[in-house]
Amino acid sequence: MTEASASILVVDDDPINRMLLSRNLERQGHRVATAEDGRRALAVLRAEPFDVVLLDVLMPELDGYETLAKIERDEKLRHIPVIMVSALEDMESVAGCIEMGAADYLPKPFDPVLLRARINGCLTKKRLHDLELEYIEQVGYVVEAATAVETATFAPESLNGVAARDDALGQLARVFRRMAREVTTREHALKQEVRQLRIEIDAGRAAAQVAEITETDYFQDLQRKADQLRSHPKS
Amino acid sequence: MAKIIAIHSFRGGTGKSNMTANVATLLAAEGQRIGVVDTDIQSPGIHVLFGMSQERMNRSLNDYLWGRCDIGAAAHDVTSSLDERLAGRVFLIPSSSNPSDIARVMHDGYDVGLLNQGFRSLMRELELDALIIDTHPGLNEETLLSIAICESLAIVMRPDQQDYEGTSVAVSVARKLRVPRMVLVVNNTPTAFDFAEVKERVEKTYECEVVAVLPHSDELMILSSQGIFALRYPDHPVTGLYRQVAACLTA
Repeated sequence: MTEASASILVVDDDPINRMLLSRNLERQGHRVATAEDGRRALAVLRAEPFDVVLLDVLMPELDGYETLAKIERDEKLRHIPVIMVSALEDMESVAGCIEMGAADYLPKPFDPVLLRARINGCLTKKRLHDLELEYIEQVGYVVEAATAVETATFAPESLNGVAARDDALGQLARVFRRMAREVTTREHALKQEVRQLRIEIDAGRAAAQVAEITETDYFQDLQRKADQLRSHPKS
Repeated sequence: MAKIIAIHSFRGGTGKSNMTANVATLLAAEGQRIGVVDTDIQSPGIHVLFGMSQERMNRSLNDYLWGRCDIGAAAHDVTSSLDERLAGRVFLIPSSSNPSDIARVMHDGYDVGLLNQGFRSLMRELELDALIIDTHPGLNEETLLSIAICESLAIVMRPDQQDYEGTSVAVSVARKLRVPRMVLVVNNTPTAFDFAEVKERVEKTYECEVVAVLPHSDELMILSSQGIFALRYPDHPVTGLYRQVAACLTA
């Protein structure tokens, strides 16, 4: 996982630093974008997804401290780990940034081994965090599916993504999907049965039974009396 | 003039007695004086729904038919055991559930003609607005008589293959007796069914109006066995359906 390619944004007002960091990261197999100040960095971050930000503390326009503050306030950006890049004498600012939410820091001039370690550490945490978010999101799909079953609007394919997981949640989704399908099939079959509710009467046999009753003397007498009764109700 | 209403089903176990008891109670609640005769002499049971035990039943329809008493003496005012606040009255003429009485009826029979006289006397003596006959399933002589003399007939059936043919026979026989108003009530309908469709299909098959399609549920079975459902649950949708049946039969 640590060796996987990531998308990294390097923010530094010094073109040499940007170039050195970019070259090093690209050699590690990462995709790199650069920004020369905080304002541009925020614009780039809002335009495309990144896995890590390397953020210089001292910059014109919008410095690293303020940029970090804006990233942390932004719900869509705050999950991206930010590594503060700073000279050793800026330690006080770095400490402030870490308190504010920065994931780590990298001293200037940077050491390639340390850079690699910091990036990999951040990426591991980021990917775990992403997995956690994805897990929560997919649990949400199962909960939504349960509500849909209650309202008879469940579409089995809505769980395809979750059901493809090879963990317990995936199994839950597969079992849920199968059971919901079975219930739907049974309900459908019952409805079909109603549609096909055929009232089958053996007309010949029924007629024979009617004749057996109505051809008796008792019945014919009763029929006459009933007719009299109905034509003279008070008699 | 009092109206004679017969509530019948070709087979047993359709909920006919429950229907009769609820319809009678709802009509009494409207202020009517209602007589209920249990002519299911071979398997009586409606007295239980009206809270009457065999011990309290000093006179029954059997006594009248065997010449032991007038029909009026076999009529029990059960209104107070239902709800004293009912504006009308319910008089029950029960059949004996004593096994030896049932055995005697089955062995010796009785003069069915007496029933008609008895019904007329009851309506006069008790000044009834309606007399409801809870019939014996099948189409024996006393049931045929009840159908022949009634003004309104409700045939209770279940949406069940076992009931279809018998109901068809009962409908045909009732037509030959020219019953002025005949309706069907579909009872114990599984809730998974489309009730409107059940009504339509049954009406088309028998060419007879279906006045209500009542659901089947375990909850309903338990509640119904505890007394008169319409009294205990006046706002329940099923009570609304019983009310619909009552209104149709007395219209």
